[in-house]
Parts: sequence; structure tokens; C-alpha cells
Amino acid sequence: MNGEIFNANPTVYASKRSARKSKFEAGQSLWIDEQYQPELSSESEVEPIDEDEIFGGFQAFLTPKLIQITHIVTDLIRFIADPEHPNSLEELRVVSAEQIKIGDNHIMVEFTPTVPHCGMSTLIGLSIRVRLMRSLPQRFKVDIRVKPGSHQSELAVNKQLNDKERVAAALENAALLETLEKCLEPVGGPNSL
Amino acid sequence: MDVDLPCRLELISDLPGHDERAWQVAWNPTKPLLASCSADKSVRTYSYRPSDHGSKSLAFSHVGTIPTGHTKTVRSIAWAPSGKTLAAGSFDSNVSVWEREDVSDSEDSGETAGDWECVTLLEGHETECKSVGYSSSGTLLASCSRDKTVWIWEVQPDADFECMGVLMEHSQDVKCVAWHPSEEILASGSYDDTIKLYIDDPSEDWYCFSTLSGHKSTVWSLSWSPQGSYLASSSDDLTIRIWKRVEEHKWKSVLELRGHERSIYSISWGVGKGASENLGWLATTGGDGKINVWEITAHKLFQETQHTKDPLSAKLLARVSGAHNVNDINSVSWCPRLNHSDLLATAGDDGLVKVWRVVPS
Repeated sequence: MNGEIFNANPTVYASKRSARKSKFEAGQSLWIDEQYQPELSSESEVEPIDEDEIFGGFQAFLTPKLIQITHIVTDLIRFIADPEHPNSLEELRVVSAEQIKIGDNHIMVEFTPTVPHCGMSTLIGLSIRVRLMRSLPQRFKVDIRVKPGSHQSELAVNKQLNDKERVAAALENAALLETLEKCLEPVGGPNSL
Repeated sequence: MDVDLPCRLELISDLPGHDERAWQVAWNPTKPLLASCSADKSVRTYSYRPSDHGSKSLAFSHVGTIPTGHTKTVRSIAWAPSGKTLAAGSFDSNVSVWEREDVSDSEDSGETAGDWECVTLLEGHETECKSVGYSSSGTLLASCSRDKTVWIWEVQPDADFECMGVLMEHSQDVKCVAWHPSEEILASGSYDDTIKLYIDDPSEDWYCFSTLSGHKSTVWSLSWSPQGSYLASSSDDLTIRIWKRVEEHKWKSVLELRGHERSIYSISWGVGKGASENLGWLATTGGDGKINVWEITAHKLFQETQHTKDPLSAKLLARVSGAHNVNDINSVSWCPRLNHSDLLATAGDDGLVKVWRVVPS
């Protein structure tokens, strides 16, 4: 924020395009479009929360529906812009499909800061949280954390990102919100080509 | 609903109106009035009276909305013990104090008096105010903030307030403040995982006389037992702890409860109904959308033949899952008024305020 660049020369990776053509590549809405909505928000499909499934092995019971949600979540966060580079989080390998864990009504997104002292980590995490908060049905509880061992202030970053009161207050901060909206403009996606 | 529990929570009112997340509910201690505050920057008030349909049931209705003028979320509200004054703490860092323009002293209903008027704006915190609370005598008001401080204000005549102390004991955001039910002892809970207890030194200033450590994450909420011998805390570590007063200025953790799968945002200790030998009912709620009601009982230590670690026991009395549908619940509060001690109000991320009654299963 103060002009300091935490990682001046990040490694940029080619964006991994899945064989399945995403809604972004098809040039459609940035948000989940109407075609996706009914499947996600239909109340009749809300399944009882199975605690073992959520708090045990996330991927042990990946049904086609959970795989589909993983794809949707991946598509939602892959084009978020890095706060200090003209690249997307996916291009910098900050986020990847492998780091998204889905349980019924629960999503855990892990991200990997490019350098362990990255001061932008809370902003990156917040942008992931806001993107998911704005796009997914409310029934999904979202936890966000940095990859274990990838950040020198791992616990502090994780604690802040999962404190709803701090998140709510951050979103009432006009300057922070403006920075955040910039990160949420797609980078490396169809709109910037 | 767990059918094998002795009681259940019956929904008796569902009060919509907030445009955004509702953060807190507060029962007026003297009048049939309930207030709620929200990220929509308003405070709403609701009155209640016996319904026409039956002597036991109550009808709730919205009586007013205070726009407050705060520029950000109204996070916390607290009634003075007189029931005539309401304090509201906001993310805009200020605390506003509200009174009715026309105090006609009509005790019958909450809806007869005039509009709510802001009589004082307390400026002092540097960042978001997160909690406010009046002392049992009504002469002191405490507020806390992300700026890591707790402020103690003396309530003077004509809505005048004087700052009696700024306590800078916590190393992180202070999430909640709670006054002892009869003595001038203040407790605060923090993002630094600790609870601090403060008293006034008559010759000096307010100071912290004890730090209660044990929680492994943010302490979200605090509630004293009705008699004041215990303090309950709820945390992001998914536990509830009960601290017992073992000496005049010493509290010790005596019980740890589990029963939530996500952060426990709010806890309220009421007198309960029924057996007088128990210590009342503890209600807890949080990010998992559950409301748990526990009956707390003290063991008579001298009667113990075996070595017992816990002088207290808690029995789950009632539980509701998905009490605000899929949403987080941010606040739970027992009605403090006589004959209504089985009434519970909650506020959720869905912007709703709900009122529940504990009834036998």
C-alpha cells in the first residue's frame, strides 16, 4: 500500500485452462450466471450437513456435484488480480484448483503467497473472500487460509481473514474497498485480451 | 430439533426489517421493548404484549426505527438499567446515546412515548467500536474498539459523560465488554484470546487486576451469571468457558463446554425457570446457526465423596439447528424481565430478529 513491492519479480506461470470451456472464456458474466444459479441456490437441494464429511477428509466423497462446485469456485477466483502485479492469482500460482476443498455447504480455499513476507496476503485473502461472498449462495460457509508454511505470519493472516467482524469493517473502508474492487476486475481473462 | 432433550425452543416471533446483517439484540430491562442494531446503520425497536389468542403467548410488533446517523455499521447496543437510555456503538468509532424526547413515564407500553433523540455522541475511539455496556447502577458506560482500548465513561446529569479511564491492556482488538451484575467490575474479551477484569482504585484510576487466559482464539462474548459468582466466555476456539470467583479478585476456569462447530459469537446467562438450586440457563450461538441452551448446576463440594474436578455441571436443555436458516447468528439474549425469563431473542446475518421461548418437549 505504501509503495513497497514485496515481490518485485514473481514467477509467472501459464494459465492452466481446463478442457471444459469456462463461463469466463465464453465471455459471459463475471459472476455465476443464470445457468449456474438454480443448481446452487435451490433450497430443495440443500443437504443436511454431515459433520464428518466437512471436518474430516474433504475430498473423500467428491460427488459430481461437489466437483462441479470446485470448478465454479476455481473459476470465480482464478482471474482475481494480484494487488501488485499485472497478473492473475492463477498465473502467479497463488491459487489453484488443488487448493480448494469442498464439503457440503463448506468451502476451504487455501492460497500460496509468492513470498513468505508478502504484506499483500490479507488483501489477496480478502479479495478471494469477497468474490465468493458476492457470488455464492449464503449457505456456503467459507474458510480462507494461506498454505501452511508459506507465510511468516501465517496464523495472524488466517485469523484476520476468518474474523467476520474485521472483514465487515474492512468492507466499510472506502479506500480499502476501492483497492479491492481493482483486484476483482478480471486479469488474464477474456476482458483483458 | 433434538427430540431427546428435556426442552425445545418454540419460535414465537420472526421480526424482519433490517436491510443488512443484524448484529445485536437487547431487551429493555424495565419496559416491554426489544431493540436490534444492524449493518444498515439503524436501530429498530419492537414492543410486545399478551396476544389476543391466549394468555401465555405474546405478540411482537415493530414500533420504531432510529436511523442513528452513524456513517457505518451499528455493531452494539445496550440499555441503561433504568430502561430510559440506549447506547449504540458503531464501526464509525463513535458511541451515540439515545433518549426519548417526551418522557411521559408511561410504564404500560413501549410505544406511547415520543421519538428517540440522540442526546450525546461519545467520540474517543480511533477505530470501530465493537461493544458497549452499562454498569448495574447505570452510572458507568464502557465501550471497546479495534484500537485495543476500553473506555469507561461516567454518566452525569443532563446526558453529560466524563471519561474516567482509557484501559490499554489488550494487545489486539477488544471484542466485548460486560459489567458485573451488582459490583463495579468490568470484563473485556479480545482478539488476543484473553479476558481482562478491571476495577476502580478509589485513590487512583481504573486498572486491570486480572487476566484470564485459556481460550485458544478470539474471545467473542462474555456474560456474568445472574448472581455474579461466575463469568462465561465464548470463543472462536469453539469452546465456552466458565470462570468461578474463588477469591474476591480471583477467577478460575472451572468448566469447558463444547457444542458448536463454528465461532461462538454470543453467550447470554439468564436466571432460567424452574428449579432454584441451579445457576440458571446459558444460551450460546454462532456461525454454525445453532442455539444451545444449557442448564448450569453447582455441585456442593463438601458432599462430594470422590475427587471431582468440576464444581459445575452443564446439561444441554434445548437446541435448535438452522435457527436463522443457513445464516450465522450474531447475538443471543435472555429477557431480563420478571415472568419472561424463558424468552430468548436472536439476531442473524439474514437481518432477522427472532424471539424464542423455552418450552418442555
